[in-house]
Amino acid sequence: MSGKGRLSGRMLVIGSIVASLVLVGAYLAAGGSSYEPEKTQNPCQPRPWSNPQSLGQIANQFTISALDGAACQLGVSREALARALATPEGRERFEKRYGIDDEKLAKAIRAGLVRAVDDAEEAGALSPLIAVPLRQTVRNIPLEQAIEFINDAESFLTNAESFLGPAQDLIEQFLP
Amino acid sequence: METSARPRVAALALAVGLVLADSSIVVLALPEIYRELDTSISGVTWVLISFNLVIALAAVPAALVARKVGPGRTAAVGLAVFAGAGLACGLADELSTLIAARCVQALGGAAAVTAALELLPATVGSERRAATVWAAAGATGAALGPAVGGLLTELVSWQSIFLIQVPVALIAAVPILAVAKHEAATGIIEAEVRRTGRPHLWANLALAMVSAAIAAALFLLVLLLIEGWRLSPIEAALVVSVMPLAAILGSRMTERVADERSRAAAGAILVSGGLAGLAFLPKATIALTLPPQILVGIGLSLVLSALTETALGGRAPQAIHGGWTISSRHAGVVIGLLALTPIFTAEIDQQRHDAINAGTAVVLDSPINPLLKLDLAEKVSAQLETEKGKVPTIEPAFEPKPSDPGERAEVEQLQGELQDQLDRGATHAFSTSFILAALLGLIALFPIGLSRRVDL
Repeated sequence: MSGKGRLSGRMLVIGSIVASLVLVGAYLAAGGSSYEPEKTQNPCQPRPWSNPQSLGQIANQFTISALDGAACQLGVSREALARALATPEGRERFEKRYGIDDEKLAKAIRAGLVRAVDDAEEAGALSPLIAVPLRQTVRNIPLEQAIEFINDAESFLTNAESFLGPAQDLIEQFLP
Repeated sequence: METSARPRVAALALAVGLVLADSSIVVLALPEIYRELDTSISGVTWVLISFNLVIALAAVPAALVARKVGPGRTAAVGLAVFAGAGLACGLADELSTLIAARCVQALGGAAAVTAALELLPATVGSERRAATVWAAAGATGAALGPAVGGLLTELVSWQSIFLIQVPVALIAAVPILAVAKHEAATGIIEAEVRRTGRPHLWANLALAMVSAAIAAALFLLVLLLIEGWRLSPIEAALVVSVMPLAAILGSRMTERVADERSRAAAGAILVSGGLAGLAFLPKATIALTLPPQILVGIGLSLVLSALTETALGGRAPQAIHGGWTISSRHAGVVIGLLALTPIFTAEIDQQRHDAINAGTAVVLDSPINPLLKLDLAEKVSAQLETEKGKVPTIEPAFEPKPSDPGERAEVEQLQGELQDQLDRGATHAFSTSFILAALLGLIALFPIGLSRRVDL
């Protein structure tokens, strides 16, 4: 190419390649290839408790453990199960989408509650004297009540504490 | 040029600009149309596909008709049909009616544009000057299209985009009517009568591929901005106006490089580079869309002008070969939309699912009361279920906000985090389509490479 103020075709092509590579390289370096929704954790993997202090914090962790346990048993995500348990409509959508009936759901939620009691005991949030009868209780409760325990873990734990606490005190008096 | 010819040149340029701008004007209205007509993204894409498909199929036959019955009459009838169908589009209350009217509108548009190409050389005095006027009119239409479309959609309605075309088309038809009357009275057809040569295969093929990539760039970007990032049509119009503005910059570069093949190759590379940039956006921020848009804009200006010149160069009559270029470009748009729409609608669905899960995880892991968080998680899910097939909005799930200031602050923070997950999902949903569009632009390099060696 000749002439004043003119660009050679080769220069134009090279310039285009460089400009494109610089742009794409800069965006990739800034995290462009990983800008997507965060991946959710596998519910079957243990989720360590973060040293809860108040009853509210314990209830929070208890709910999450219970959801993880139930979701693991059902082979769904913890998030999908949480959305299902919030309302009857959510449960209907869940049943339709995953083909999981009430019987399977009840079994899984009971297993989830047992895992939550285990985790709470392991974290030192529940004493073994409360955990043992609590574990027995949740193994046999009906579905609606089990769901209520997950949704309102704070009341559940408060009731358990007020009901089983005096018995624990009594037992502790007789222990060496 | 004679003074008496000026209104006719202006009318012809207006007709070309109006028809060729139609796609870019309508793109901004598509999100509004699919909300109002309660359809899906795939469904509403046909408002665009149908128009481009009919123009692609009708451009060359329309050019032949114009040469046979007279370009004045063809252009006048074409504009009248375009106006009438535009009115039908504006009054349509169902998607099927709108699409049918768009097909008729495209028929009229194809007739008007190709007949204008036939009339212009006689009106302005040379084929070269005619091609310049024609290209400038198309570029101006494309440049103004997004801004006008966004403005009308937001300030008036999506229907106004079609309704406003009615008087504009009729105004353009008035000076052309004189030519039509002259043709009817004298039987003289103003176009030169020459034997039609074969179309330039490689240049037209490359045009189709590049047009597919460019259409995808505009269409996907508008959807990302309006549906993904929740911008208003005016805001989105302002953002995407960067592309035609950059194209004007690119047209100056066009004058400085004579080699058509190099310009076409550089343009295709820039279009692909810009599209790849849009595929790898590191954040949902408007500013980050600007550099890729500048590359696409400069690129499209270089590649479209170079390929059009190659396709028309030394071929006569220009109207027929211009018809082939219109046909190739619009066929490319159709191919791009048909190929990419199912991919990105499936991606939107997957990303919606991932974003809901990621958002629910954010809610569950937050320190707010479990009762409140589970209720929120369900409301979010229900809200997103109602928007199946669309990029979701999250605000309604967080209304009404808790009255307690502490809880309210926590919920608002949660909404922000959840929105971030949705932004990530919405942005990522378009990535694959942008990459594929970029590949289309790169594949166009093959016919561009062959365009000089094998002149078919």
